[in-house]
Amino acid sequence: MIAPLSRTLQQRALVAALTRRELVARYRGGVLGFLWSMANPLLLLAVYAFVFQFVFAPRADVRPYALFLFAGVLVWGFVSSALLDAAETFRNNGPLLRKTTVAPEVFPAVAVGARLAHLLLALPVLAAATLFAAARGSVAPGRAALELPAVLALLVLAVFGLALAVSALAVHFADVRDLVANLLTLAFFATPVLYPVEAVPERFRPWLRGNPFTAFLTAVHDSAFFFRPVAAADWLWMAGTAAVCLAVGSAVFERLRDSIAEEA
Amino acid sequence: MEAAIRVVGVSKLYRRYGRRRSVGSLKSALLSSWGSRALSPDAAVPALTEVSFEVAAGESVGVVGANGSGKSTLLKLLAGIVRPTSGRVDVLGRLAALLELGAGFHPEISGRENVEINGLLLGMSRREIAARFEEIVRFAGIEEFLDAPVKTYSSGMAVRLGFAIAAHSDPDVLLVDEVLAVGDEAFAHRCLEKFSEFERAGKTLVFVSHDLALVSARCRRAIWLDRGRIASDGPAAETVARYRESVAREEGDARLSAGLVASAGRIGSGRAVLEAVRLRNGEGRETRRLRSGEAASVEMAVRAAEPLSDFVFGVAIATVSGAPVLGVNTEADGLLPGELSGEARVVLEIPALDLAPGLYSLDAAVHARGGAPYDYRRDVLRFEVSAERACLGVWSPKRRWRGEGGVRWSR
Repeated sequence: MIAPLSRTLQQRALVAALTRRELVARYRGGVLGFLWSMANPLLLLAVYAFVFQFVFAPRADVRPYALFLFAGVLVWGFVSSALLDAAETFRNNGPLLRKTTVAPEVFPAVAVGARLAHLLLALPVLAAATLFAAARGSVAPGRAALELPAVLALLVLAVFGLALAVSALAVHFADVRDLVANLLTLAFFATPVLYPVEAVPERFRPWLRGNPFTAFLTAVHDSAFFFRPVAAADWLWMAGTAAVCLAVGSAVFERLRDSIAEEA
Repeated sequence: MEAAIRVVGVSKLYRRYGRRRSVGSLKSALLSSWGSRALSPDAAVPALTEVSFEVAAGESVGVVGANGSGKSTLLKLLAGIVRPTSGRVDVLGRLAALLELGAGFHPEISGRENVEINGLLLGMSRREIAARFEEIVRFAGIEEFLDAPVKTYSSGMAVRLGFAIAAHSDPDVLLVDEVLAVGDEAFAHRCLEKFSEFERAGKTLVFVSHDLALVSARCRRAIWLDRGRIASDGPAAETVARYRESVAREEGDARLSAGLVASAGRIGSGRAVLEAVRLRNGEGRETRRLRSGEAASVEMAVRAAEPLSDFVFGVAIATVSGAPVLGVNTEADGLLPGELSGEARVVLEIPALDLAPGLYSLDAAVHARGGAPYDYRRDVLRFEVSAERACLGVWSPKRRWRGEGGVRWSR
């Protein structure tokens, strides 16, 4: 059932090398090189901080709102860009697939890996902003932050499962990328990225909880913003989501795997 | 000896989807019950049909055949890139496939980084790559450009690097698809040396090539694929000769049916006309296929509208790419014209046609002594010369090698 995952792990050296290649190729030639991957989140943070300080009234229930927003947007950005990249990865790597004996799982894994690297490179910015806010007394960092890596690990597994399905389906169906892009836009607002779950009226909450990503974003905010332990229910949701995404993604991928090199 | 490659009853159908649905939409697939309609092809094109063969460990096998005969599909099946529709493919040991040199190169990153990625793609571990890195770079001869992005490489450099990596990945079975056509002579030579090294080390080599001379020189065995089926499988020289014959036959048929023979490049006043030009083999049979060293004759049937006292007959042979091989005429060979009237036959006899294997083009002419043509027929016929042994150039004389002192051949 998890054959694609185990094959990916066997090829981890290749996945790592191709991921590095993605990053190096993207930033090579730029004067700032890898600094660009930090410049982007920094800019985002600056815009949020400005807008919610001077333009919009920030939410009263989460302060500083810019920091809350920043954490959520970084993580959601990883999910959405990884899935969009996965939808295109086989088309972009067609020659490699047709001309080498590389295992096709490697490509969705690289799509996820490259975006994960971007997220990890942005985390120091988040940490610095948090320390800055802490110095001004607006947040009080605590041990719960140590739960963030585990949350992200489960998220990566879930996203990899989805990336497997999306990448394999995109080989056969031209509209998968558009479909994914639209679903992601919808999900952006239907997931507590911009707001905490508590801000949603009671009667809509069951719907929100039904979204598997709600648990992930809640857990990210809990551990990295509110610094309170992630709720047991959220752990269960996340573990369950990761397992289901991996199982379904692997099943779809296995079914279409043989035709990927022919159709890509 | 144990079989390194075993192919049993393998067929491969490529699915062809309707033009308008070449990439279907998920929406339509979901509307028409998942995976049944949209995923089912409109037609299946057979690329290989019931192919079976075995390759022993340590054997070098060439695969020849026309474009679209299934050669590349066969290599992809052996490499495991595509699955057979039916039948089984077993390959024993570590495999490296060189289906396109530098297939994994990324233009933006350096040669150094590309070596690592390409090596991993070929199944090497990072340690193995590090250990052979120097050797790979030296073989490719790109020391100075190692840290430049590959997009700045010439195509020759990229090809050399691609081959160097594959050759040093130390596979048990190496699959090579027509990659030596690129690159210069010196490099092709080094590749061939590497292949020999491979053979001596008991590795298995399967390679697809349009270079028939190379196949018969390099491989002891060859497989000829014709429209997805094995047409011949045996000693390379035999298989190649059969394949050549078939190609020449088809080409000859095509030329005849297209009426090209009669009108291809004909100039002259028409005072005398070459009505037919025939090539005959040593047995006097008309043919387009000769064996190197065999006797041959060129026969010209000529008709003179009025009696002529000034005439020269000439025959020229060139390779199909235009390099002159032979040009003779009756005058240069010491025959002075007397009279030509009515119908006549002029025959040029060659006791031994010592041509290297290949395709040749023949011109025949009758003209005045000053050179003014009565009838000059350029490329009036083409013929093919085959030989047991490969040789480059156009001349393949009877020959033998001798060695004295401390030299010895094992076979």
